[in-house]
Amino acid sequence: MQAKMSFSGNNTWRGLLIGFVPLALLVVIVVIALTVTALIRQLFDQSGFFVVQQAALITLIAGLVIALVIFVVAIVLTLRRVTAWQQIGAMKSSRAALWALGLTAFMVILPVIVAFVLPQNPAP
Amino acid sequence: MSSRPESLAKSTFNDKTSPIKANRGLRRIVVVLLIISTVLTVFYGAISLYISTQLVYAPQKPIYATPASLGLQFQYVTFPSRVDHVQLRGWFIPGVLPNGKLTTQRAIVFVHGTRTNRADKAAGLLDLSGAIAKNGFAVLAFDMRGSGESPPAPLSLGYFEQRDVLGAVDFLQSGPLPYPALGRPRIIGGWGVSMGAATLVMATAQEPAIRAIVSDCAYADIIPILEREVPKGGHLPGLFTPGALLLTQALFGVNFYADRPVDYVAQIAPRPILFIHGADDHYIPPVNMDILAAAARSAHNAHVQTWSVPGADHAQSFNTQGKVYVDRIITFYTAALGPDSGAA
Repeated sequence: MQAKMSFSGNNTWRGLLIGFVPLALLVVIVVIALTVTALIRQLFDQSGFFVVQQAALITLIAGLVIALVIFVVAIVLTLRRVTAWQQIGAMKSSRAALWALGLTAFMVILPVIVAFVLPQNPAP
Repeated sequence: MSSRPESLAKSTFNDKTSPIKANRGLRRIVVVLLIISTVLTVFYGAISLYISTQLVYAPQKPIYATPASLGLQFQYVTFPSRVDHVQLRGWFIPGVLPNGKLTTQRAIVFVHGTRTNRADKAAGLLDLSGAIAKNGFAVLAFDMRGSGESPPAPLSLGYFEQRDVLGAVDFLQSGPLPYPALGRPRIIGGWGVSMGAATLVMATAQEPAIRAIVSDCAYADIIPILEREVPKGGHLPGLFTPGALLLTQALFGVNFYADRPVDYVAQIAPRPILFIHGADDHYIPPVNMDILAAAARSAHNAHVQTWSVPGADHAQSFNTQGKVYVDRIITFYTAALGPDSGAA
């Protein structure tokens, strides 16, 4: 009984951990992209505004595109694993991973929600 | 009897399939949520990124005339901003005393507004700087970064431009000034309009060498102005404004949330401030002057004057009042900076 409970607990945690991998990757790559953009800006600081603008823009967009691609690939892989868990009857793992992915969807849209509900006081 | 194993098998089958079905339903919901959230966030980020690039750039306007057109002597000058050493271009106009002698004893740093230059025709900057020079005050009128003849730079609405004003003060105090025979200015004042006024307030709070300032239609805090102007300019809802402002910081290092002269203005005391604002200002509402004046007066030794100019729209107080405006600020500067000794 103890072994069974321990096993099912592990399954849930494993599902959660796997389910949060896409979000973790997204956050890490976005942070790296922002840091590299700041470094590039410093590096090209003496080269004039237009060079700095181009370099920073290219770096940030490239970083965000890479983050997006890796995020999508990670989600596809996680969903495949969820399918595999479902096929072998590891329902707790699959359900936990799906809840983690659902939370990931919420975290991804959170900045837009915050921007939407953030109080603004535009000048008349 | 024979139906018992069948029903048992059916029951066992349902027990296994219902969680699978439930998980499949959950999976579909999660996939849809992930697609919607990713698409919306990418769309939001892309629009915000575009706005942020538009926000910090404006084509530089050429200088349309020089002080020579007003019959004044002047010299072109170039000096570095403080901290980041952006080479700024301007002109130095010596003051003219009633006896016709030139003087540089009292110098006024002239700070123009956003998306214009040191000669700003719409606000009458060249005429005003000429009028001040003709009243015995030397004028250092210069283009802030990204304006006029100074190098292109992101428009930060005062965040970086403060360094330009501080660079102008450094130049007056220790730079290679023209007219060496006239000596260095004994005392320095400042005049600014719109973004220039807000920038001047923030710079003066850091630089005690600026002994008095005239702030014409400054904003107390840029964020409410941006929260109105960004959606208006892009014909987009206001929710894109915070994203655009944050991306401006990521891309250009510009923190618009720090452009709050209201947080700095009390540090200027006991040095005198004259706040001027057009009563019909539709761009930066006149209440901004009240907010700034109240904040400035919160210092126990503050010397603050205010002038609400009837009928004047944004940056039009000088054009509306003309000689009355000049007389008022000359009286203020003379009281705050003292008289010219008349000796070169």
